[in-house]
Amino acid sequence: MRLRRTVQLVCLVLFLALLGLAALSGTPAVMPDLFLRLDPGLVLISAISARIVLLGFIPAAVVLILGPFVGRVFCGYVCPMGTTIDGSDALLGPHRKVSRAANRLTRLKYMVLVFLLGSAMLGVSYVFFAAPLALITRAYGVVLFPVISFLSRQVLDFIRPLGEMLDLSWISFGEVRTIRFASQFFLLFFFTAVLGLVIYSPRFWCRYLCPSGALLALASRTPLIRRRVSQGCSRCGRCVRHCPMGAIAPDAPQITKHSECIVCRTCVQICPEKAVSFGGSKGVAALLADRSPGPVSPARRQFVATGLMGAGSAVISLTGLNSLYGTAGPGQVGAAGLIRPPGAVPENDFLSRCVRCGECMVACPTNTLQPIGLKAGLTALFSPAVTPRRGFCDPGCHECARACPTQAVRRVDPSDRIWAKIGTAWIIRQKCLAWEFNKSCLVCDEVCPYDAVEFRRQNNHPVPVPHVIENRCAGCGYCEHYCPVQNQPAIVVTPMDALRMESGSHETEARLKGFELRLKPTGQETSTMPPDPATPRDIAPGFDVE
Amino acid sequence: MNHHLSRREFIKWQAKSGLFLATATSGFWLPKVSFASAAADIGVATGAAEAATRAAVDLIGGIRSVVQPGRRVLIKPNMSFSRAPEYAANTHPEVVKTVAAMCQEAGAAKITILDHTLAPAKRCIERSGIGPACETIAKNMVHPINDPSFYAPVTISKAKHLKTTDVAKEFLKADVLIAVPVAKSHSATGVSLSMKGMMGLIYDRSIMHRLDLHETIVDLATLLKADLTVVDGTRVLSTGGPGGSGKVITENTVIASRDMVAADAFAVAKFEWYGRHYKPTQVRHIRLAHERGLGCAALDDLSIQTARL
Repeated sequence: MRLRRTVQLVCLVLFLALLGLAALSGTPAVMPDLFLRLDPGLVLISAISARIVLLGFIPAAVVLILGPFVGRVFCGYVCPMGTTIDGSDALLGPHRKVSRAANRLTRLKYMVLVFLLGSAMLGVSYVFFAAPLALITRAYGVVLFPVISFLSRQVLDFIRPLGEMLDLSWISFGEVRTIRFASQFFLLFFFTAVLGLVIYSPRFWCRYLCPSGALLALASRTPLIRRRVSQGCSRCGRCVRHCPMGAIAPDAPQITKHSECIVCRTCVQICPEKAVSFGGSKGVAALLADRSPGPVSPARRQFVATGLMGAGSAVISLTGLNSLYGTAGPGQVGAAGLIRPPGAVPENDFLSRCVRCGECMVACPTNTLQPIGLKAGLTALFSPAVTPRRGFCDPGCHECARACPTQAVRRVDPSDRIWAKIGTAWIIRQKCLAWEFNKSCLVCDEVCPYDAVEFRRQNNHPVPVPHVIENRCAGCGYCEHYCPVQNQPAIVVTPMDALRMESGSHETEARLKGFELRLKPTGQETSTMPPDPATPRDIAPGFDVE
Repeated sequence: MNHHLSRREFIKWQAKSGLFLATATSGFWLPKVSFASAAADIGVATGAAEAATRAAVDLIGGIRSVVQPGRRVLIKPNMSFSRAPEYAANTHPEVVKTVAAMCQEAGAAKITILDHTLAPAKRCIERSGIGPACETIAKNMVHPINDPSFYAPVTISKAKHLKTTDVAKEFLKADVLIAVPVAKSHSATGVSLSMKGMMGLIYDRSIMHRLDLHETIVDLATLLKADLTVVDGTRVLSTGGPGGSGKVITENTVIASRDMVAADAFAVAKFEWYGRHYKPTQVRHIRLAHERGLGCAALDDLSIQTARL
């Protein structure tokens, strides 16, 4: 027992540490998506819906392959969602109503799996509301981490005077990143509900809802190393009552439903006769003889019906107004103003790959990636969007791509990353301080890393005014972020001309389209200033006439 | 009673005086050059970065006339952009480092080097070279102050437009403020020098654009009045400022003054901007600062000393 709790704790701590490393802006993330790639359901559904197989999917394949050998050890020892659920079980368990053996309910998770498969066949992925690792990453990353950041800031503000007194500059000048996310209340309610379900039975999620659990259950029908009961069994039934997964037949404690067993070994610990053990079998005959009654499989009719429901909802999604189909053309109404991370694949592929785990959002150092609500339809729920007003998307940063387990945002070389245009800025002249209010501003020009904002003297305009050179603009959002106009900025990034590619070099594609995306080079005089015919001699920008 | 001087005594006395006078300028009895009378309003030195910085400050009275032992010093360089020194968008790291070293030599108790950066802070500090350069003389001097918790509200009594702002807490604790800007052009204000640079010590700068940028720069300078200004003209960003890219002219010049308006005015007049020269009064915030009595931009009225190394 202690071994199991130790392993669970280590895995949870490791999971949180990897997520935390991604959240800390100073350090480069180390394998932030490792645990996500261990989740068999997440990987399988994504592979089917996006029609891709990545090397990164191997860990999940390993977990699944281990099923026939060691059973659902992943569920019992590694899965952070399982560990969290065990935690809430310890808190809420004592208040539990006595649960009836809900045998029939266990098939619900197979329904969930089949539903997901059905929609995945049609290229639509709903894995984001069911895959345990996607859910738990979102819970910790998008709900809990902002809370931790908030509390840490409070603590830091409280102890600042100490930094002054003790001359400790890490207190005086230390900074805790403020993390903010949209859709928090929804996620909070969702996870409270999921974790609160332990009131009904321990590991409610794992027993009845988890599609990855269903997948592992299918693989673990008769594992090599499994529960074995010796003749010493007195049929007291203690193991039946204490099994968190309800995997032991109530009237016959020697019989185990191996596909439900997560190898927690509680039964081993509490058996008064010490009659239970976990071990390998002796020969194929013993293996076959020990075959547990199959998972309470739903009638074939129900399987098919659920599969069709999945496919049906996929079809409904695909017929939504915001759904893009075929090649772009008239009548295609993409979501307005939706800016995707740099290196994101084309939208349909993006949605079928993105599992809404929130890793990219946690990893993003400027906190610009925010989960969207329903503005792009149900299929796009919780997917990430660049929000320049919250944070700019720095050309030298590609943390989102490094964090994405399904490569919905592609990892490319840093030199190619600079060419990954995510949109184009445009100036709302009637709001612009220079254009409309005749004030010296030009902050957009100051901060633009691509030198895409040019200032020019216009006829009779007392101050120089900004122009966006569209083919030099990468849509990074520095301008929108720093524009001093309240409350909506006078320069806005739209997803126009964003480069969304399945594969290949962004630079090549950009050049084909006539874009010149370069960070400001040195030495050359890139800003030309056409002389203003109204003034006798051209005056440098910002200077007055004598 | 009359003391009757014998011829021998007289000759001895004359000989001693003569010897004294002859050796006086050797530096043995009296200082070689008396700085007290020769301290200029503006010191200009040409040469290598470190030597020019030291020489320019010496010409206006030396660092000890600004920093006394036990004082707390705040140095404000330009390090807002994540660009390497050759772009001239940030102050040259050698100049910043030399100013910090001089403060250390003068016995400053604490030296902090701060800026509210535009680009990601860590990158600005490293790529500008200022972080690594200053690390070599003391640790933990250079910090970005991008978080609102580093600022406290103040009123600016002499302001016409910017009546209140949030200023860096360190400024309120410091005894001496030293501005170390790089000489660069600015698309909105003509140039960005010591007065414009003070925008890096407040939190909300956007309000200044919405009011009147030149007037509010002067308002800010009435509060954030530098005790010493060292303008880094080692390389001048002559066009395309404040972030570049633009024409970088190697001038190898450092300008120092106790009057920030004078320093800015001299830098405008001395260097070439967009291919020609301008008068200091053609930069509105310099003209306004002069008119409001913040300092003197009339270069003809000031004593300027030059040193060539």
